Amino acid sequence: MTPTTATAPATAPRAACTAGTDGRITFRLAPPGPAAFPSPRLLLRLRPRKGQPEKTLRVLDLADAGDGELSAVLDPLPALPEGRWDLYLLPGPEGERIRLRPGLRDLRALVDGHVRDRPSPVAVRIPYVTRDGYLALRTWLRDAHVEVAGIDVTDRSTTVRARLHGVPLDAGASVLLRLRGGKGVERTVAPRAGGDGRDLAFTVDHADLLPESGDGDRVWDVFVRAGAGADAPLIRAGRLLDDVADRKEIFVHPAAVVGEFAVRPYYTVDNDLAVEVLRRT
Amino acid sequence: MKISFLLHNAYGIGGTITTTFNLAQALAGRHEVEIVSVLRHREHPSHTLDPRVSLRPLVDLRQEKEHPLHLRPARVFPVAEYRYHQYSELTDQRIAEALATTDAEVVIGTRPGLNVHVARQAPDHVLRIGQEHLTLDNHPPRLRTTLRRAYRRLDVVTTVTEADAAAYRRKMRLPGVRVEALPNSVPDPVLPAADGTAKVIVAAGRLVPVKRYDLLIEAFAPVAAAHPDWQLRIYGKGEEHTRLRRLIERLGLSNHALLMGAAAPMEAEWVKGSIGATAANFEPFGMTIVEAMRCGLPVVSTDCPYGPAEIIEDGADGRLVPVGDRDALTAALLDLVGDDELRRRMGRTALDNARRFAPAPVVEQAERLIEAAATARRTARPPAPPEPARLRRALAGHGFAARDAAYAAASAARRTIRGGQR
Repeated sequence: MTPTTATAPATAPRAACTAGTDGRITFRLAPPGPAAFPSPRLLLRLRPRKGQPEKTLRVLDLADAGDGELSAVLDPLPALPEGRWDLYLLPGPEGERIRLRPGLRDLRALVDGHVRDRPSPVAVRIPYVTRDGYLALRTWLRDAHVEVAGIDVTDRSTTVRARLHGVPLDAGASVLLRLRGGKGVERTVAPRAGGDGRDLAFTVDHADLLPESGDGDRVWDVFVRAGAGADAPLIRAGRLLDDVADRKEIFVHPAAVVGEFAVRPYYTVDNDLAVEVLRRT
Repeated sequence: MKISFLLHNAYGIGGTITTTFNLAQALAGRHEVEIVSVLRHREHPSHTLDPRVSLRPLVDLRQEKEHPLHLRPARVFPVAEYRYHQYSELTDQRIAEALATTDAEVVIGTRPGLNVHVARQAPDHVLRIGQEHLTLDNHPPRLRTTLRRAYRRLDVVTTVTEADAAAYRRKMRLPGVRVEALPNSVPDPVLPAADGTAKVIVAAGRLVPVKRYDLLIEAFAPVAAAHPDWQLRIYGKGEEHTRLRRLIERLGLSNHALLMGAAAPMEAEWVKGSIGATAANFEPFGMTIVEAMRCGLPVVSTDCPYGPAEIIEDGADGRLVPVGDRDALTAALLDLVGDDELRRRMGRTALDNARRFAPAPVVEQAERLIEAAATARRTARPPAPPEPARLRRALAGHGFAARDAAYAAASAARRTIRGGQR
């Protein structure tokens, strides 16, 4: 954490936000004191990796909302790079920025986001509250996206229903599971296309995901290969198109027991789809 | 008028704290209001307190946890109270001082043990009000016996439901004490109300057995089968989490029934839904029902004691189904999920009907109650007699009093015998 975030949460200002279906986000806050904040603005900072300097910033003007509050609008375009953004109040040309705490987050417009087809690139933004109680924004930016609609786990196999966004389903497309850290070890299954060239479903046999020898635990990341050629782009499967910024502990699917292994589809910390294979203890 | 609330711990999280803060805030518009918090364990309250309301802690656990008097058991705070182990000679002493020196005209206790303090220790010129946020019938007999004796010295006892007020009148025999229901209030929502289009059922509360989230999840299974685009979102955390997760997996509801974790405030989550639901076996009030309705959601609830039937008008702004009846719960949910017009109409009615729980009408009721008690005082209601002798009390006792006293004595005897056998 940088020194500029040292403001005690109990006294830091709060910003409320409202998300629109088109990606627009409106922030609102009570005006801070004019002496300390002569020309207040909102700062979004892409959180850098640990030890790296911050590079990507967006500054939004705060305007009188007409009811005594200030508001700032984050327009749908340009799309934001993928990551986590922290929000600050800038006092003016001088002075230290103050990290914002959350007010009410009205995200109801995002709840059924999966029913709206997205053009390429697929850009997603979800305001959320950090573990330590500050307001932040999660963003995804992908050329195309496979949105998981449902997962059904049986003893023998897992079936995934999904919908393509940003690109139509090519006749030669395939589903690819890639072993994480597995030096190119892959499994391929054929998708079943739905009616309109966007819906698809695929079934993975659990037996195909087990280690050949007595190897330990493993994780398979799930992609759709957009076309027949080996150079066709890989599209990550995941679940991004609603109001849930951190899905891992909420959208939880059961494990299937396969011999000495438990096979379970899950969402990663980035809300992407993966399948874990754990040796049962 | 100066009004002083006596609260267990204003720095924690919970329904009594929320509702006390709400009432204090609403009263602060026309009165001087303070909250006296017996305990303090952190710098700032977890819930937001209106800056017009002053807050005064009596025992700061961050420094006084090991105070010699705090290590000795309480003598005024009743032993049968649930939080007895958190009270001590130190709290006895500090509460007594605070009450003896209060400059308030009205002192309001907010839990049984503190009501006993108010009854026994507030000066004669002060109006003494005891608030019951739980229910009489669920108190152990020994606590009821203590309260029966002490509450005679109160001016007013408030309950959160009419049903509990009726129980107090029937079973407590408190001559000259005004017993009235004063419901919890829910602040006016900030966000626009839900419009009934979201395909989400929302439930919220601690994940504990009495809330029967297992029943709600089971009742939701046929709903998800018939309407696979609907979700059930359960907000809250608690001991039942793992068991509920397993139930969801066993019923094949992983795509539809979601354990969302705790959310505060809930307002932004209610408006993502279009139906509220609770399957509880017991609700002293039913705060989440009011919250959901104030956000424009019709609520499907079990008709459990005591609150739901006093909040929901069955068929108009929600549905009441028999306690523990899974099929009835399913049918009520299906009615609302399957009929967009019905759901929207009931949501609008819920919004209108729940306005009676807004701070303004509730605080007006509280003021009328205080005024009536003050008038009763002025027209010289004789002061409450000193506590009668133990024997006379037992003999003169009303049926309920005698039963509670006998039960309390018997369980004390059982404890003694068991203690002797160990």
